[in-house]
Amino acid sequence: MKLRWIGLGLTALLVAGGCASTPQDSGGGGGGAGSSGILKLGTVDYIDTLNPFIAIESQAYNAYIMQYPQLVQYGPGLELEGDWAKSWENTPDGLKWTFHLEPGAKWSDGEPMTAADAAWTGNTIIKYGAGPTSALAVALNQIKEFTAPDDDTLVIEYKKPIGNVLAQMEQFYIFPQHVWSKHTGNKGKDIKTFQPEKELPTVAGGAYFIDQYEKKGTTVFKPNRNFYGPESNAEAVALIYYTNSTSMIADLRAGTLDWIESVPTNAVDALESEPGITVESTGSSQVDNITFNANPVKPENRELLDPKVREALEYATNRQEIIDVVHNGYAKPWANLISSQSGDFVNPEIKPLPYDPDKANQILDSLGYEMRDGVRWAPSTSGEFAQPAHPMSYEMIVPGSLNYNGDRYFEIIKDNWAQVGVELQNKPGGDSAQAYALETAGDYTKFDLAAWDWVGYIDPDFMLSVMTKGQWFSWNDTGYNDPSYDRMYEKQATLVNPKERRDLVWEMQAKLARERPYIHTVQEEIIMAYRDEWSGIYPDLGAYCKCYYTSPQKTQ
Amino acid sequence: MRGADYLIKRTGAALLTVFVAITLNFILFRAVPGNAITALRCLHCTKQFKAALEKELGLDKPMLQQYTIYLGNLAQGDLGTSLVDRRPVWQNLKTPILNTLPMLAVATIVSVVIGVAAGVMSAWRRGTRVDRINTWTALSFYAMPTQWIGLMIVFYVALRFGFPVAGIRDPALGILEEPSTWTVINDRIRHLILPALTLGIGLYGEYALIVRSSMLETLGEDYVLTARAKGLKNLRIVYRHGLRNAMLPLVTLIALSFGYILAGAIVIEEVFSYPGIGLATIDAIDRRDYPVLQGAFLLLTLTVIFFNFVADLLYFKLDPRVTA
Repeated sequence: MKLRWIGLGLTALLVAGGCASTPQDSGGGGGGAGSSGILKLGTVDYIDTLNPFIAIESQAYNAYIMQYPQLVQYGPGLELEGDWAKSWENTPDGLKWTFHLEPGAKWSDGEPMTAADAAWTGNTIIKYGAGPTSALAVALNQIKEFTAPDDDTLVIEYKKPIGNVLAQMEQFYIFPQHVWSKHTGNKGKDIKTFQPEKELPTVAGGAYFIDQYEKKGTTVFKPNRNFYGPESNAEAVALIYYTNSTSMIADLRAGTLDWIESVPTNAVDALESEPGITVESTGSSQVDNITFNANPVKPENRELLDPKVREALEYATNRQEIIDVVHNGYAKPWANLISSQSGDFVNPEIKPLPYDPDKANQILDSLGYEMRDGVRWAPSTSGEFAQPAHPMSYEMIVPGSLNYNGDRYFEIIKDNWAQVGVELQNKPGGDSAQAYALETAGDYTKFDLAAWDWVGYIDPDFMLSVMTKGQWFSWNDTGYNDPSYDRMYEKQATLVNPKERRDLVWEMQAKLARERPYIHTVQEEIIMAYRDEWSGIYPDLGAYCKCYYTSPQKTQ
Repeated sequence: MRGADYLIKRTGAALLTVFVAITLNFILFRAVPGNAITALRCLHCTKQFKAALEKELGLDKPMLQQYTIYLGNLAQGDLGTSLVDRRPVWQNLKTPILNTLPMLAVATIVSVVIGVAAGVMSAWRRGTRVDRINTWTALSFYAMPTQWIGLMIVFYVALRFGFPVAGIRDPALGILEEPSTWTVINDRIRHLILPALTLGIGLYGEYALIVRSSMLETLGEDYVLTARAKGLKNLRIVYRHGLRNAMLPLVTLIALSFGYILAGAIVIEEVFSYPGIGLATIDAIDRRDYPVLQGAFLLLTLTVIFFNFVADLLYFKLDPRVTA
């Protein structure tokens, strides 16, 4: 009798939980229902919100690309190609760009999708660009106005010509006016509190609409039958969030998952020997670094502001050891803020210094940093930023949210630098937000070093912007503050001639390489694994192209 | 009268603990560097923008004033509003709690059943190989980190027996066609088995050792000797005369260990991507969503205090010596 009551109680809990967990928060993973045609994609990165005005996570941006029309997008080979826009032209002065859109397009709810939607989206972002819509306004820099002379033509007028119009337009998502215009009240502030996840399915014009959303669970993308481009080969795409790679890999091996986006390097060998699974690696734009506090007014350990000291420390850093130990070989030595994915924008003169502790010791000796009991000492200084003599011993912030083994990375650098008399201690940084709070504390005056990385866009504009004073407390994580650099950044954005812009971008990279606010160590590779039943997977096009989801098809 | 004193004292102590917990809960999240706003990292998060947001959320007010507002809201049952999605905190926590409860219930049943069976068997066969194996197994599982047990189960049990290792529902369920209620419940149970089993195994060792020790004490009592002398069957002696009297410490231990069970659930949910209160708490930590984090901590703390209070009452009911 008592057991029966326990059983009834348990059933009641399960039913209550079951009811409560529809679709919100029902978690990832699965039991292998084996539905044909559903592409089940595992990830450890999640979609934090369906509102692009408040999103942070990169997975969220992938979701926007899948749902919303863009004028252009990156295609195979990472070349810009038309998305909703089929062709475009501009006036010789570069102030007016005209985009010709695919005619007769419709939103997923059947409403007509016209240039007026694009004009409304653009003008709304510009109108509230200093406030609620600022997250997306960066891509519309220097735009004066969007107009729609007819349903299929969009005209963009610029205040000043800029050199990267198409790359900027790749970050311009077009929203359905009939849905989003209801949420612009309160001087535009309502747009940030709008939660599309509460009004599912989403109204989309891109390849998919979202039918089910769970922040840390399963999000279901269903094909938009009104999409203007190539239809999805899969009947649906289920993006499944995992809190850890171990469960995700177990589900791939069990066949519950079809594809996982990021394989830990230590699991590659095991997966490669698994029949029926293909492991593929490709270049990414992620560059790992050692971040220096470059704020010119930092009060302590000011010797770290000296580019010669940083040069010595670069000589003392063994990149190959980092590649072998931290990345199991899935990375390459790199010394530039801009990744190799930016192609012609990468200054070919900037190359990693060889690992040479003797050379590092020689430089530090010549600078007068004496070695005492295995640790070098910085001499006392006078003047505005006087500091007493002190050992070259520093804390390095190591965020816990790194997608590589930050502690191993730190240990290698610590051992490397110990050989030249520089001591390091690990300062756990917590998640990205906490680590950034540590860096920016006291207006960038409280930290010395951090271990981190950057994942940039293909166009270098964003990565160059992170070194400007304007990005202090936003993206700038070094405290670097050089007005001449800021002027170069402003200028490069307005250079229309590609060669002139490239030359200035190269010059900016060269300046950063000389001053070394970072020691860039390696450029990582992305490793994906998928089951052989699926083909047409483009590992390098995540968050770049709608084909990332539309192209995979089941072949068995 | 002594009973009433005891009750008043325990209630007072519980209420005081609640107040201290609420206060610590408030202080704890403000002791770390920065706040929810300074930690924001985005393209538009300029210093001015952050200052405006701080004002909007009342984070620019003096700490004491923030504390008073916090207490006032709590008194009205308002746990606050999430900084991230602007939903009431309770709305953010309700579903995760309802997801965690069945898992905890199953885990507790698993641990009690295995723990009692192992403990009784060990005590009855004291000094034999069965006792040694049982005791060492219980000690080993008691000492093992729960997350490690979970990973071993993922590696060696899940794949072999076809149980899902992550989430609470098959991701493909309901995408192309509406599933039946039975399919949903069956799927839910399948997803619950491994996390509950892991937690149950992690807990059973302690229960087994306590039951063994308590049973050994009981089995040495005169009335058990009398029962044996009367020629009663072993099962009857164990169940009616031994186990019933040995259950007192176990009952209180279950109540007292509820805090540990919840802590274990947090680790288990991380291993199995199980969207319960543990993952919701970790998510709130990651995003520095103070109100949600405070709400989760408060609810967890209140639950532990409540079960400690229940344990005190049980002691009072089951063992009159505590008021003597």
